[in-house]
Amino acid sequence: MKLSSLPLRSFACALVFLAVLSCSENLDNSGVCAVLCPPVGGEVQTVILDATVTLDTTVQALSGFGAEPSLFLASRGDTLDTRVIIRFDSLPATFAPAGDTVQPIQSVDSAYIRLEIDTLTIKGAGPFTIDAYDVDTQAHDTSTAAILALFRPDRLITSQVFARADLKDTLRYYLPNAAVLNRIQTGTHLRVGLQVSAPTSSQIRIGSAEGGVTPLLLFRATPDTATKPLTVFPLSTTPAGEPIVASHLSDYTIVAKGPPPAPPSDLAVGGFPPHRVYMRFDIPSSIIDSTTVVRATLLLNQLPNPLLDPTDSVLILPQLVFAGKVVTDPAKATQIASEIVGDTLLVFPGGSGEKNVELARAFSVWHSESPDSLPRAIVLKTLNEGNSLLEIRFSSSEDASSLRPRLRISYTSRVPLRVP
Amino acid sequence: MRKLFIAVAVAVVSSRGGAQGALSIQGLGYPTGGMSARAEGTGGGVADFDALSLVSPASLVAVGSAALFFQYSPEFRRVTAGSASAKTTTARFPLVEGVLPMGQQWTLGLSSSTFLDRSFETSLVRRQAVGATTDSVDVTERNKVLGAINDVRLALAWARSPVFRIGVGAHVFSGSNRITFAQLFPDSTKYISSEQSGRLSFAGFAASLGVEYHPVRAIGFALSGRKGGDLRAQSGDTAIGNAKLPDHYAGSVVYEGIPGTSISARVAHDSWSSLASLSSSNTKAFDGWDMGGGVELTGPRLLQRIVILRVGARVRTLPFGFNGERVSERSFTGGIGLPLARDRAGFDFAIQHANRTVKADVKERGFILSFGLRVSP
Repeated sequence: MKLSSLPLRSFACALVFLAVLSCSENLDNSGVCAVLCPPVGGEVQTVILDATVTLDTTVQALSGFGAEPSLFLASRGDTLDTRVIIRFDSLPATFAPAGDTVQPIQSVDSAYIRLEIDTLTIKGAGPFTIDAYDVDTQAHDTSTAAILALFRPDRLITSQVFARADLKDTLRYYLPNAAVLNRIQTGTHLRVGLQVSAPTSSQIRIGSAEGGVTPLLLFRATPDTATKPLTVFPLSTTPAGEPIVASHLSDYTIVAKGPPPAPPSDLAVGGFPPHRVYMRFDIPSSIIDSTTVVRATLLLNQLPNPLLDPTDSVLILPQLVFAGKVVTDPAKATQIASEIVGDTLLVFPGGSGEKNVELARAFSVWHSESPDSLPRAIVLKTLNEGNSLLEIRFSSSEDASSLRPRLRISYTSRVPLRVP
Repeated sequence: MRKLFIAVAVAVVSSRGGAQGALSIQGLGYPTGGMSARAEGTGGGVADFDALSLVSPASLVAVGSAALFFQYSPEFRRVTAGSASAKTTTARFPLVEGVLPMGQQWTLGLSSSTFLDRSFETSLVRRQAVGATTDSVDVTERNKVLGAINDVRLALAWARSPVFRIGVGAHVFSGSNRITFAQLFPDSTKYISSEQSGRLSFAGFAASLGVEYHPVRAIGFALSGRKGGDLRAQSGDTAIGNAKLPDHYAGSVVYEGIPGTSISARVAHDSWSSLASLSSSNTKAFDGWDMGGGVELTGPRLLQRIVILRVGARVRTLPFGFNGERVSERSFTGGIGLPLARDRAGFDFAIQHANRTVKADVKERGFILSFGLRVSP
């Protein structure tokens, strides 16, 4: 019996099709797992470690006076009074008119300080009166009292009033031309102290050099508008021989009056100047080394701090400390930290009660490093550190046992991969 | 009421099971059988007389000339449990063989076949309390196993005449299972997902013997057996278990008294229970019978080639049970054989429809296609 080639070819095509189809392997039997796949992993165990914190302390967040990324100009009644200092210790003595040679500066026109303002965080309805004082002094650079003493009538340079609507992203604060010319011609420092006042509580956040938004002094050395205005960056020439400190002091905030600091027994995060919390744990190696931690939560008891904006939100960011054991100073150790948790904790200064900080990712790092090379330590900081005045407080390990920081760890045992 | 019954059954079964997503891949896996596409097409009946099947070393003599043989056998499987079902496709390469006649009487064969294939992937979502007593989360357990135990055989066969053939084989069983187990949590900011991976290695030895006797041209008998030695399992450098490779005995008969037709039947017994000591979860292994038979006949002529048609049926017990119950496999098979290149090559195709059942409300149906290619260089 002979058959035509058509059925044979069709059959061959079908076989080739099936062979190609089967090359794409699909081994997933999940559809029937409710019946055929009992759980392989073990139950998750949860333990709460009460006495796990071996060291918790509040430390300064930034490396020095004036290192904040923002300047705060605030007048909030009895609660808060802050001033902004901007130093122009080096003013140009010459300029180049358009199409002419370099000449000494004989006049100053349209002198102003350009301030970058965060309009979203302005508090108060205005009008805002901003006074500028001459705060040049031979007193110690970081002496707040000495600087505050210079905010007096005989030191007043100028005063300007701004309606709320006048406070745009960029604010021009005009200075008397004569005052600027005087500093140029006498070769002295132009150090300006700003103070705000308003009928109601007021607060303005201004960009600083550390925040990358530097206040600038601009003026014309000639009324001729064809000549470009001169731009002067803030500069502090003191303290001599300490360039980093001097750099921070080119613009900074001083607190004339502030909320009382947190008691030493409390842990404080944020505020101004900003603080961080350093916490070191003693975690049994049986948990870190021999189990698979699936979740770890730091249980903190928040203490209410109602003095300043108690209902404003603050995001707290936990970080992992990468400083080794040789770094014994917690303040320095908090500078050697990195974000690995990827989550923030939303709190309010006036809030209270238990707050949970998720730390599972820290455990995955600790699992791969010995405590000798990587202490089991974290840092708590505010996400908006230095850009917000709000401070969050927690109970420390010195508080009653029910209020102390604790660690809640959920883990599973490793599944033995064996013959079924 | 029926839904309630199924739900209860599911709960009971899942709480006791040691299963791996399908009936056929329990325990150490699915035994592909070591049969060529030709033998599969006849329900395994002709396997002991087929040079390209690896069940009897005596059959090597039948190859006639030096040959290389390669087989691809994908399986399309559907598992049904109550109202749930899953479809999978498993690509297997169960057989590769080289046969070399040495003179008029001796034939040497080197082959590798899949002994137990264990390839599956499952994903199970379960609710788990993690952290505070009020916190719970869906955990996804993903379990993936890839690998097999393979049977590498060096065989030598002798035949002085077509009446009597005898062969011996030395077997090395080796292979590994690559296991990946992951627990996945949905919120990476709160939870850490974990993944473990490992490799189980197997090594063992066995020896086989086969004889064929054809008292007359129309009828033939075959007996074969494989005596299992030790099988050792290791995880890394650590020994995790020992067992005996199962003994295998088979007897076959073939009748070729009708011109152009070959009728064959085979019965075999496997002592799978000898592998039970390797199990860490008390997965039960059952000794079982493997019975099959079929017909091979000369079919129509296509493109000046004679097509061989095959049909058969097979019943066997799979090695590893489900929830302590024996899993049976019933297969209906069919296939074709096509000589190529003036018989210097041959193509065989077989299709098996296998039903695997247990007493529980779980069913499994598989279509196994086998593509075999023989080349005589």
